[in-house]
Amino acid sequence: MILTWLGRIALDVALLACAGGVVAQSRTIRGHRSWALWWGSLALAGVVGAVGVMQFALITHDFSLAYVAENNATFTPLIYSITGMWSALEGSLLLWALILTGLTVAVIRHYHREATDAVVAWATLVMFVVGGFFILLMVGPADPFLHNPAHFLQGAGPNALLQDNPLVAVHPPLLYAGFVGFSVPFAFAIAMLVTGRVHDRWPLEQRRWTVLAWGALSVGIVLGAWWSYQVLGWGGFWGWDPVENAALLPWLTATAYIHSVIVQDRRGLFRIWNLSLAVATFAFTILGTFFTRSGVLQSVHAFSSSTLGPALIGFFALSVGAGVALIAWRGDQLRSPIGVDHPASREGLFVANNILFVGFAFVVLLGTVFPLLYEVVNGQQVTVGTPYFAAAAAPVGVALLFLMALAPVVSWRTMDAALLWTRVRIAAWAALAVVVVLVASGVRHWSVLAAAFLSVGAAGAALRTIRGTFAAARRRGDLGSAWRAPSTGGMFVHLGVVVLSLGIVVSTSYTARSEVTLAENQRTVIDGQTVGFEGFSTLSTPLEKQTQLMVTVDGQRLRPAITTFHGRASQPVGTPAIDSNLLRDVYVTFDAVGGNGATSGAQVATNVPAGSVVLGVTVEPLLSWLWIGGLMVGAGSALSFARRRHRDEVAS
Amino acid sequence: MKRHLVLVVSAIVLAAVVGLSILLVTRQPVSATSVPSALVGRSAPDIAGSRLSGGNFSLAAERGKIVVVNFFASWCGPCHVEEPNLITFAWQQRLKGVVVLGVVFNDTLAAARAFDAEYGTNYPSMGDLAGSLAFHYGVTSPPTTFIIDPHGHVAAEYVGPLSTAQLTDAVARVRA
Repeated sequence: MILTWLGRIALDVALLACAGGVVAQSRTIRGHRSWALWWGSLALAGVVGAVGVMQFALITHDFSLAYVAENNATFTPLIYSITGMWSALEGSLLLWALILTGLTVAVIRHYHREATDAVVAWATLVMFVVGGFFILLMVGPADPFLHNPAHFLQGAGPNALLQDNPLVAVHPPLLYAGFVGFSVPFAFAIAMLVTGRVHDRWPLEQRRWTVLAWGALSVGIVLGAWWSYQVLGWGGFWGWDPVENAALLPWLTATAYIHSVIVQDRRGLFRIWNLSLAVATFAFTILGTFFTRSGVLQSVHAFSSSTLGPALIGFFALSVGAGVALIAWRGDQLRSPIGVDHPASREGLFVANNILFVGFAFVVLLGTVFPLLYEVVNGQQVTVGTPYFAAAAAPVGVALLFLMALAPVVSWRTMDAALLWTRVRIAAWAALAVVVVLVASGVRHWSVLAAAFLSVGAAGAALRTIRGTFAAARRRGDLGSAWRAPSTGGMFVHLGVVVLSLGIVVSTSYTARSEVTLAENQRTVIDGQTVGFEGFSTLSTPLEKQTQLMVTVDGQRLRPAITTFHGRASQPVGTPAIDSNLLRDVYVTFDAVGGNGATSGAQVATNVPAGSVVLGVTVEPLLSWLWIGGLMVGAGSALSFARRRHRDEVAS
Repeated sequence: MKRHLVLVVSAIVLAAVVGLSILLVTRQPVSATSVPSALVGRSAPDIAGSRLSGGNFSLAAERGKIVVVNFFASWCGPCHVEEPNLITFAWQQRLKGVVVLGVVFNDTLAAARAFDAEYGTNYPSMGDLAGSLAFHYGVTSPPTTFIIDPHGHVAAEYVGPLSTAQLTDAVARVRA
């Protein structure tokens, strides 16, 4: 009972601090001195206290908290005890609140000297409101510190899929950091609209915060794909699941925002549009949380369901409503005096970029909620699957690669074909040469050829920009400044996207899936890989019981297994084994066992002789490029965040 | 003209968001899933004992009716989600030959009584503190729900919180 009270008191303190922050900020706006740092720190302290109580309970396996009883067991290892905090809804909210209040304090500290500026004061107020809302969810309907009156000697343990891979330690926190980070541009967008000060430096200033959140979300999404690839056992990495889409939606609008803000900075265009994107991105994070947590959409991620739906939807409608109403009110002040001069100028290509990203976001949103719409109209359940999304994603991806090949080298305001050709010709010839080589070596997939051609072009444009920046820096005698130049981080991200796209296109075009039945010590050749089965082995730990197969792939020892975790006594889960190198991944799953099926957990195939096993073998070329590209995107974002401050740029 | 455009677009976006919000907020969670159970088609393990609210319950005495057996615990979050749905369902079906029974396990009787009191549960519950019923039914985590047909055979097993519509559908399938 003591932990319940401690945790609740900490949350109450945090909630009161947010309320205090809102009141104090409304006074700051009217010219009083700012107490934001004080209230923000108190809110953070409260949340840190609550997180501390939860972590203490999880690590010491204190089942007097219902949350711990449901998501932990005495034999849960330390790492999964810690990650247990985000295995289910209530604890996830704690992590969410921790990142949000931490970010609020960071923003307050960053703009400390301008604390009484009306834009900063309003933005801080909005941050306190958002923080207060999420803490209120925990004080109200999703109490993480619910007391468990029964005396448990043993808890249920985390969901089997959530204790199978250490990636659960980083994937959700990064995803949340991305989601939460978008509340900063949202807060400043609202502040700019309320104060009417939409003309000064704030939009570009916000770009840095957005890039930080965007980078975290990008890496979070890629790690999520990696996790599902390693754990779920179907050899794929993306299923257009509602929850995956929920993370993709804000990512798409944020990507559009990051690009179009550059145009506002350079040319003063797109003011209404940029504010709308900031609002939309934030709204999509709330909607995404709803998709993840309400259970109204069928999803592999439905690890928890809750009664939070109405609260989240209300907050979603409120944030969009406030943003749209403010934009409508300020609309005439926001208009740009000028337009885009030439459709193929750089700003023209940015418009195309935005149309693609936002259009695709709309396609994804429609596909995600379509089953609900259909059910309302026709009363039948349907699912919208990969074909719908892939049909839209392929042309959008091609068009985006095309833009990446051109936009970095096109001039602002005008289009000079001759100049453009001198800038792209090396990349164009190189791209053509690559395509010729690929065709000569037997590649016939049009998508692979198009992707290869455009990827080389896009990489060429990015490298050309980076080279230009470094050459200029060398002439100035300050090579280090090139790393901090505005474009370097962004172009590095482009290179990461190129690598990632090649990984996606080639691996999905050339996936070879087969099932093979092997007796002990038998080997066979599948898709160019020698696969052998050497026998069974079992692994038994307090945590789990695994039936492993000793398999060799081209001499490498792999151990695909069926794992049964103790505690929840859930369905056994398949644990795939992967042999990965730069050129190809071989993905082996233990699909079934023949005969009487004495082997625990595995599916029994009656038409297969006893002692033989059925292996699923999937060969996917260039799959590891996805993860490498994802890491490059993260590194590029970090570089972009660490770049020179806007004011330094203006000064230089 | 352009000011008009901003207003019109704003109005359209607002209408779309309100529509989407109303649609989403009125949807029922669909997180319960029907699971293949070894018990389906077999005769249901007997349930007999005293009800939390007093009196006795015996599954054998309910032959001829459809019995919905819901394993729950007061500390289980999804059970809180499901409880209002079960209550609505029990009330709708009370004159249609359907009996709902709650079986609480991994819990204390006091907590289970408080749970029933909190929601105003309108159907009987009984305690399974030793977990023997849960064992015979193969239940590992609450909420798990069994539909037992009028002949006393298990017709379906669901894991996760059921919606009223799902329960109605499940019973209709037994009647069909």
